Amino acid sequence: MRELQEGADRRLRAWRGRAAGGAALAAQPWHAARERLRAAEERTRLPIANVLVLVVALSLPFWPVIDSRWLRILVLVGIFVVLGLGLNIVVGYAGLLDLGFVAFFATGAYTYAILSSPASPALQADLNWWLAIPVVLAVGSVVGVLLGLPVLPLRGDYLAIVTLGFGEIVRILLLNVVGLTNGAQGLFNIPRPEFAGWVLEALDHWYWVLVLASFILAFAVGRMRASRMGRAWEAIREDEDVAAGMGVNTVKYKLLAFAMGAAIGAFGGLVFAGFFTFVNPSSFTLLVSINVLSIVVIGGMGSTPGVVLGALILIGLPEVLQFDETSRLLSLFNPIVPFADTSLWGRQLASARFIVFGLMLVAVMALRPQGIFAAARPQVRLPRASGR
Amino acid sequence: MPLLALESLHAGYGAIRAVRGISLEVEAGETVCLIGSNGAGKSTTLRAISGLVRPSAGRVRFEGCDITRMRPHDIVAAGISHVPEGRGIFARLTVTENLDLGAYLRGGPEVAEDVARVFETFPRLRERARQTAGTLSGGEQQMLAIGRALMARPRLLLLDEPSMGLSPILTQLIFERVRQINEEGTTILLVEQNATSALEVSHRGYVIESGEIVITGTGEELAADPRVKRAYLGEL
Repeated sequence: MRELQEGADRRLRAWRGRAAGGAALAAQPWHAARERLRAAEERTRLPIANVLVLVVALSLPFWPVIDSRWLRILVLVGIFVVLGLGLNIVVGYAGLLDLGFVAFFATGAYTYAILSSPASPALQADLNWWLAIPVVLAVGSVVGVLLGLPVLPLRGDYLAIVTLGFGEIVRILLLNVVGLTNGAQGLFNIPRPEFAGWVLEALDHWYWVLVLASFILAFAVGRMRASRMGRAWEAIREDEDVAAGMGVNTVKYKLLAFAMGAAIGAFGGLVFAGFFTFVNPSSFTLLVSINVLSIVVIGGMGSTPGVVLGALILIGLPEVLQFDETSRLLSLFNPIVPFADTSLWGRQLASARFIVFGLMLVAVMALRPQGIFAAARPQVRLPRASGR
Repeated sequence: MPLLALESLHAGYGAIRAVRGISLEVEAGETVCLIGSNGAGKSTTLRAISGLVRPSAGRVRFEGCDITRMRPHDIVAAGISHVPEGRGIFARLTVTENLDLGAYLRGGPEVAEDVARVFETFPRLRERARQTAGTLSGGEQQMLAIGRALMARPRLLLLDEPSMGLSPILTQLIFERVRQINEEGTTILLVEQNATSALEVSHRGYVIESGEIVITGTGEELAADPRVKRAYLGEL
């Protein structure tokens, strides 16, 4: 029986070789026509706008209006951009609704904290932040696969509920595995990133590091999407059964989506731990998962600019609304608005932000279900077809 | 040795036993049809062959190899393409992208040639090459689904109800293409409710009822069989 199976496997490999023209061909990216189409699209759409955005983003700390409060908020926005880019792979590309993304954020933050904080009860190794990057990416992707394995057969709402549970399980573990995580007290005095005597501490430096990291990640994620792997994700998102019928190994590519998303989420956690130098379980609640998901959905599922816009709106805006300048600006409306102190509106809006976000989500879903920045397909291509 | 052989195959969904011990054979180069009414187990049979449903008992052999427990993508790699019921096109992708995904396991320069060949078989698809597949008509979607399956260069093509929801003219066109694809060397296992058209293009056929095969014979024999006439051809 066993021999029969092996014989069959051998013959099937031979078939596959014949059908696919060998492994080398199978590993090749897609065919020329599509490559040309993509290349044309990238030429026209990407570089100039991207360089412009990068330059503007990098120059922000030099603008006179941008003070330390702004930079602090921008760093926070940057962390959520990283998280959004990670979740976007899982939800936007592969169509797997993950409500427990905070698990990976926490994994990254705690991996570095445990390996570096002087308060760490075990495994303290004085790990340098920069050297922690590959460690955290690896641990993140392993945790992604481990959490992905049991949910492989689940789809849609069932997947959402189980992943939501995973997010909570991780938080409760952090709280209770005291021997590793120091429990509710958390881990403090986490070392800041240091390289050859240069310590990453200044806000503007942090900001620049995050801008560069986001760009590198966005580029990497874009390449993933344009690869064979991205095509497999696309097919799985559209219809998992048919994808399998096209020869897509759905198990492998779903796990890869979880792993890639989790690795990026864990990197976000690493930045978080290095920036705040303190982690405890109360930073890793369900709310983080929901925030990141809202960023992805409001911005536009599968869209990278959408992630940035979503993070600016959901993370940046509530903070800016609480600025004194905002109050002063709003107080200008006082003469025309009776019975209300308009200078308080910003703060009031900020404290009611979850109501506002809820309304925004409803509005986006009703008016623009593809999100503010729809992913660059197929809406981009249709007009071209009519021009033929 | 037949290209495909089912040996008392059983399959179902949970407690529902949709397929109860089906045995059939498809020789290389043949078009074989499986006709039967709604819920007879036709689609489940195809899904069991392509690995989308796990058979509870029995065997599927392809070129003599047992593929019963293989995973769907390995079965595609082995040379079986499945055009699912309801077509299963990727509605939000363009026609060309759909075809590309059909060649997912292959890649390489000859994929472009295959796209061109599909466009030759179905010129309508060429006109719609950059349109999203969801905007195609039902007939065009069926053409796309068949074309996409051919992109994998299968040796066995499983067709699930290609005439579903199509006008008689389009049905005729699709079946002409099915005949043409078979003449060009692809073996076909066709599932249909539209027995007349299916039997016309098939060398042999099986009639399936409640998950079991009840009658078998050549296309002409079945078309002439009084029981088939009564039940499936709408004659009294």
